[in-house]
Amino acid sequence: MRLYGRHIILILLLLSNMIAAAQNRNNLTATKKGLVLHIDLNSPRPDIDTILRRAAIIGVNIQRLKENDFSALEKDGWVLIKRKGNIVEFNRSIKDLKANPQNSPFIITNDIIKGDERHGYMDNALYGVNKFSSISVYELSSGLTRFTLPGYLKSRRVFLSGGFNDWSTLKGAMTKTATGWVIDIKLQPGAWMYKFIADSHWLDDPNNLINLDDGGGNTNSVYYKSNYTFKLRGYAGAQKVNLTGSFNNWRNNEISFTKNGDVWECPLYLREGMHTYQFIVDGNFITDPANPDKYKDIDGRLCSVLNVGETVYFKLSGHANARDVYVAGSFNKWEAGKIKMKKTADGWAVPIILPAGNYNYKFIVDGDWILDPANPVHDVENKELNSFIAVKPNHTFKLKGYNNAKTVILSGTFNNWNENGYRMGQTADGWTISLHLNPGKTLYKFIVDGNWIIDPANKLWEQNQYNTGNSVLWIEP
Amino acid sequence: MCKFLLSALFAFLLFAGLNGNCAAKLKLGGISFPHAVIIANDPAPYGDFETLIVPIKRAGNLIIVEAQIDTLEGNFVMDTGAPYLVLNATYFRDAPRIDEKLSAGINGEANGGSFTTMVHNFSILDLHYSRITADVTDLSAIENGRGIKILGLLGTRLFAKFAVTIDLANNLLYIHKLDDKGNIPPKELVFKEPYLKMPFKYINDIIFLKGAVNDKTMWFVFDSAAETNLLDYAKAKKILKSMQIINRSTLTGIGGSSFEVLYARFDKLTLGDKQFLRNRVLITNLEKMGKAYDYSVDGILGYDFFSRGAFTINFVKSDFEMYIYNNN
Repeated sequence: MRLYGRHIILILLLLSNMIAAAQNRNNLTATKKGLVLHIDLNSPRPDIDTILRRAAIIGVNIQRLKENDFSALEKDGWVLIKRKGNIVEFNRSIKDLKANPQNSPFIITNDIIKGDERHGYMDNALYGVNKFSSISVYELSSGLTRFTLPGYLKSRRVFLSGGFNDWSTLKGAMTKTATGWVIDIKLQPGAWMYKFIADSHWLDDPNNLINLDDGGGNTNSVYYKSNYTFKLRGYAGAQKVNLTGSFNNWRNNEISFTKNGDVWECPLYLREGMHTYQFIVDGNFITDPANPDKYKDIDGRLCSVLNVGETVYFKLSGHANARDVYVAGSFNKWEAGKIKMKKTADGWAVPIILPAGNYNYKFIVDGDWILDPANPVHDVENKELNSFIAVKPNHTFKLKGYNNAKTVILSGTFNNWNENGYRMGQTADGWTISLHLNPGKTLYKFIVDGNWIIDPANKLWEQNQYNTGNSVLWIEP
Repeated sequence: MCKFLLSALFAFLLFAGLNGNCAAKLKLGGISFPHAVIIANDPAPYGDFETLIVPIKRAGNLIIVEAQIDTLEGNFVMDTGAPYLVLNATYFRDAPRIDEKLSAGINGEANGGSFTTMVHNFSILDLHYSRITADVTDLSAIENGRGIKILGLLGTRLFAKFAVTIDLANNLLYIHKLDDKGNIPPKELVFKEPYLKMPFKYINDIIFLKGAVNDKTMWFVFDSAAETNLLDYAKAKKILKSMQIINRSTLTGIGGSSFEVLYARFDKLTLGDKQFLRNRVLITNLEKMGKAYDYSVDGILGYDFFSRGAFTINFVKSDFEMYIYNNN
């Protein structure tokens, strides 16, 4: 039996060597004359796929390749040199490297070196609770947030730099006090990364226990500006109250309440959207007594439901004789019979809490899908014209004049240069639309009755491949 | 009249003083130097420091330094591949034009819209330039590729009277004032005992280092804004056999045109008397960049090389030093 086992091990070793040898037969090398490509047609598909990708040969049907159809390679300039068993050898001149030289290293490396897409600006956390060894960042009654750095009294200048000021090394000048440095800034709720710069030297907040990797080998401190406070009244005799929920993967001992008079409180940052949660009072799981919105999840757990976002009142005037009116949109995956509107004195209405963003929607009146007659702004999704609303818009595009135009469309990097949407609404002196845009650079143009124009009111523009220019807009964090 | 003569004499002396390298450039490269007269009139920068320490930021493999033009603060790329200050046309299109397109250096996209301007009150922290000549050109490709607002490029001329040390591990730029002999005063040295110390040729405001790839001699441009090493196709052809090919890529250039590169590995990069092992390089056609430099370029040493250590460039003595973090 033992001998048999040894044989198995030997066979496995031989097999693994054979596999390794087979992998090595797929190769891309170079000689004075050019590139040499070896493909082992018997090697597994992923290995063939890998070697083809290394050789930048695209659109190859591997089955056809295995059946000796090399036309895709030949089309790409590879010449079949020889075939030995399953191994095929191709050569390719490298003279193409000479063609179309670029005049900037950046153009060459741009797609090869991945730039971090605004990495380090805001942590994408679902929730966050601050942890300090000694509180160094706190909220003021004025609504501003105070950042403090104790000590460093010999420093000539200290700055606060973070995602909130685009990591500026010049804008966040702190003021020297008797005990250290301080700055008050206006901050939106969120998970903000930051650092101090003392006499040009970058440093994490020494009092903040939460640091996150910055993706470049260093760390950043994180401050969570809260946007919601959980409250539990009563339970005066309780020893410990914790919070658990979908946002922290139902971990029980992570987030604790503190007692403030006769109320247990837990302020924290919660990303906008829907969350489910429970309180744990001295080990007993309860729903939030102050929240009537409850839900039994797939594990049979009865939880409280919280929607974090902006309340939007959808209203439809008239239709007094309608039986049922619903609203549906991109915010609820266009599910028709889910959000029912209530009858009001002059029509129908429903409040919905939505995260910041851009949404398409329609009303459904007794089964008929209709546009919102009170909203002149539209978007096209799957060739369908819809009403459009931006929740927490952070920029309004305006085009003055063009009173006789039939349609004015806004197109840009935010909608992948879609030529059909967004359709701006006409006002007394022009056309307008508000959008919620991500922080960073946005390129855009207006399309007036089919003619692309840059924004005449925006002096920032850059050249495009058609030599017609794109307007440039920077959205602050 | 006397006043005019004195002014002319002053301008001549200033020109001679600021362009001490000019004769060498003409002799070495047989080159034209279109900006010489204009730049010669730029007053010398000033600042109350011996060594100015400036925090740097990173975007991809780019080194970003914040500077100020009048009241406008913003990001600039530290770019030893650019000869002068270069400004992004998106934000400086309306700057006064003192000359139409001359040269933008290779990181500025030299297209029809480029021109030369004069900037007043330019500052990097405590280093002030009361007046400085700059090119204005389209830098949108850098901005769009890296997702941050770029006001311009800090070319070598800005530091012509200084030595600069870049310490990537600590994200710091040191701008050193030099003593009468052109050295960093010993008490101001940030690092001691360099791993590599070698002279460079300062041609057309660009740093050229003599070295070798797998024993084949090459002249490299040292470009702090090159996110990888680059090697010219024609030079690489002769040593291709000694390199390992990582992959071949077809990429898209300005205006949607496609071009090809080979990403390769090679064992031995020699600079001065030192060897750097396990190097990566992009092989492509550098002919056009050579034209922008007015001098042929065999290769460009970029981030793959200089991220191995802190480095000091002494522009007055034309010395390059490297303090190694990692030679693997």
